[in-house]
Amino acid sequence: MRSFPFGSAALAILGLALASGLWLAGHPIPSKKATLTLWTFADTHYNFYKEAAPEFERKHPGTTVELQLVSGQAVTSRLQAAFWADLDVPDLVEVEISSAGSFFRGPLKDVGFLDLTDRIHRRDPVTGKALWDSMVHTRFSPYTSRGRIFGLPHDVHPVQLAYRRDIFEKEGVDVAKIHTWDDFIKVGRRLTIPNKRYMIELGDGDGTNLEMCLFQRGGGYFDAQGKVIFDNEVGLQTMLWYVPLVAGPKKIGNTLGGGQILTRAVEDGYLLCLVAPDWRTKSFEKDIPRVGGKMALMPLPAVTPGGPRTSTWGGTMLAITKHCKHPDLAWEFAKHLYLDKEGLAERFRGTNILPAYRDAWKQPAFNEPRPYWSGQRLGSLYAALAPQVPVQYTSPLVVTAKGKLSEALVACVQQYNTHGAEGFEPFARARLKLAADQVRKMIARNPY
Amino acid sequence: MSARSDALAEKRELAGEGVGAGWFRLQHKAAPYLFVAPFLILFLCFGLWPILKSLILAVYATNGPKSAVFVGLANFRFLMADPDFHTAVRNTLVFTCWSIFFQLPCALGLALLLCARWVRARELFRLAFFSPNLLGQVFVGVLFSVLFVPQYGLLNHLLHALFGIALDTKWLSNPALVMPALVLTSLWMYVGFNMIYFLAALQAVDRDLYEAATVDGANGWHQFFAVTLPSIKPVAVFVLITSTLGSFQLFELPYIMLRNTAGPDNSGLTVVMYLYNTGFITGDLGYASAVGWTLALGMLVVSLVQLKLTRAMKGVGD
Repeated sequence: MRSFPFGSAALAILGLALASGLWLAGHPIPSKKATLTLWTFADTHYNFYKEAAPEFERKHPGTTVELQLVSGQAVTSRLQAAFWADLDVPDLVEVEISSAGSFFRGPLKDVGFLDLTDRIHRRDPVTGKALWDSMVHTRFSPYTSRGRIFGLPHDVHPVQLAYRRDIFEKEGVDVAKIHTWDDFIKVGRRLTIPNKRYMIELGDGDGTNLEMCLFQRGGGYFDAQGKVIFDNEVGLQTMLWYVPLVAGPKKIGNTLGGGQILTRAVEDGYLLCLVAPDWRTKSFEKDIPRVGGKMALMPLPAVTPGGPRTSTWGGTMLAITKHCKHPDLAWEFAKHLYLDKEGLAERFRGTNILPAYRDAWKQPAFNEPRPYWSGQRLGSLYAALAPQVPVQYTSPLVVTAKGKLSEALVACVQQYNTHGAEGFEPFARARLKLAADQVRKMIARNPY
Repeated sequence: MSARSDALAEKRELAGEGVGAGWFRLQHKAAPYLFVAPFLILFLCFGLWPILKSLILAVYATNGPKSAVFVGLANFRFLMADPDFHTAVRNTLVFTCWSIFFQLPCALGLALLLCARWVRARELFRLAFFSPNLLGQVFVGVLFSVLFVPQYGLLNHLLHALFGIALDTKWLSNPALVMPALVLTSLWMYVGFNMIYFLAALQAVDRDLYEAATVDGANGWHQFFAVTLPSIKPVAVFVLITSTLGSFQLFELPYIMLRNTAGPDNSGLTVVMYLYNTGFITGDLGYASAVGWTLALGMLVVSLVQLKLTRAMKGVGD
């Protein structure tokens, strides 16, 4: 120790560093023992899968399933990074609909998910039926790239309107007479009191609700070939119709934010109607319990008489990664989670989410009256609308396209607030085109 | 320590301890490198290599690091014409200007106040002003996004009571109000942090200079400009440069406050957020690297200009 030229303190540090290094080398992080690892971003899904996993393990002796709850944003970034680095890639992963497209960038061979097309179209030798025949077809399109399906749809997510039944009754509104958006807006103008009460929760700062209206009208961000279309005539007409609902002196829509603020706004009667895809009804039940029994659901008003009475908002796919060492077992697990009728009935009770597997809708759980929703049969209402759910196509640049549509909306809202209807149509047309052209330019950069 | 060990080595050599002395000399020569080695290895692996790799990536169109197509300077050319990048740069510059011209004077003002002898409970105030910095940006972002909530938010209620501002003022969804909201939040968080630097500098100013200035008939303003400012100049330059560089790297605060988005009409989009979005959401690592290098060059230029303007190179050296 005396001969060490830098003193005892430095020697001690060196000793500690060497000792800890040796200890770490001797105690490597234990490798995972699970046969299958699944990442999900929704705690409601996670809780259900936690209950469903032991039965799968029983049916497949020697198999262990590890579930990981990862935040929604992290699924995209962590999974992307994991694919790139070949590290910590799960066997199965649930991806939110708006991020799914970003995984389809580059040549098909570089997509990190297994191509499930053949498995989905393969006919059962006994029944002669393919899985494709039992699912809601429109729900595959967001998870399809260049004709290949990379994800099994978890849900359908039809949209209805949740409304304060007690206030509507007090105000003498008969929802059965509301068939079209024109009918709805007429009632909305009567019930809206600026800064005190608004007919519907509709946003003016991002395109979430506008997107839903765009889908209802048969529009979208991309067509089946991945070409940008949100500035077409449908897109323009949707924008021209939507903006006066959230801007200008006659607006009937407003939004304050989510969480506790939304709870207060609904309890106080500040917002009378809420856009309600099936998944959101469970959030309302949990977050706004005080209005239980005072809420009810009605189909989305149609754009034109006889038109579709729903749209869609949100979605999830289950994908198997190419890193999975047991793809057949993973596929069995996917089917266990997504196609087991009794399991899906239980899942519906816990999440209110209508599965994309149509055969499950006949289960009694989907026909049970719900006290929170004034005794309405939630499952049946959503299932009746499911066949009308519009198709939506995706692209690796879907997140960018959503951002650009939001930018166009904000610009149009500002224009309408300051100049009103005068010159609004050419402005909206130009603004939509500008936004869409920016996405087109980015697509054109893609060398693959 | 070194002189002592040198003397020890010399003594042993003179004593004729041949092998022992050789081993001792080897240790003496190798030890510094051994101590530096852990940092150096980590820096080479996780610092220098990623920097070089990103420089290479910047001239490729990528789909992750595995598949890449050489595109030369196309990423940089696209960047120069990219309206989103322009928006990000504009927002970042606006935020930086507010940080420099509003936040730093506030921090200096607070430091001067807390240096004044007539202020009681100065330590308490110092702690109070500095403590927001102990919270992370994520926590502060969440806290302020609740304060800024329309209709029910505390800030709107306060402004409504004081100035009659509408209760449903949407700070975080009105493009015109997003930047003021970010600046206010950042002011609350960082003004105390910068104040501490100024406070330390002010306390080091020679009191005799003030006495001499008073004897010469200088009033408070004269003393501030002729004594205080020149005395704290090196610290002021340091704070100015670190604040500027910190502002250029703004990411977490808007990302949290605007709920993982760039805000309405990209009003909260910063250069680093744009880099993150292109790299990790869109998956275009090559383009993200081009953004990163452009940002780094921009920061270098701005820092050099600041140093030149403040003539601090000479000042600090002195």
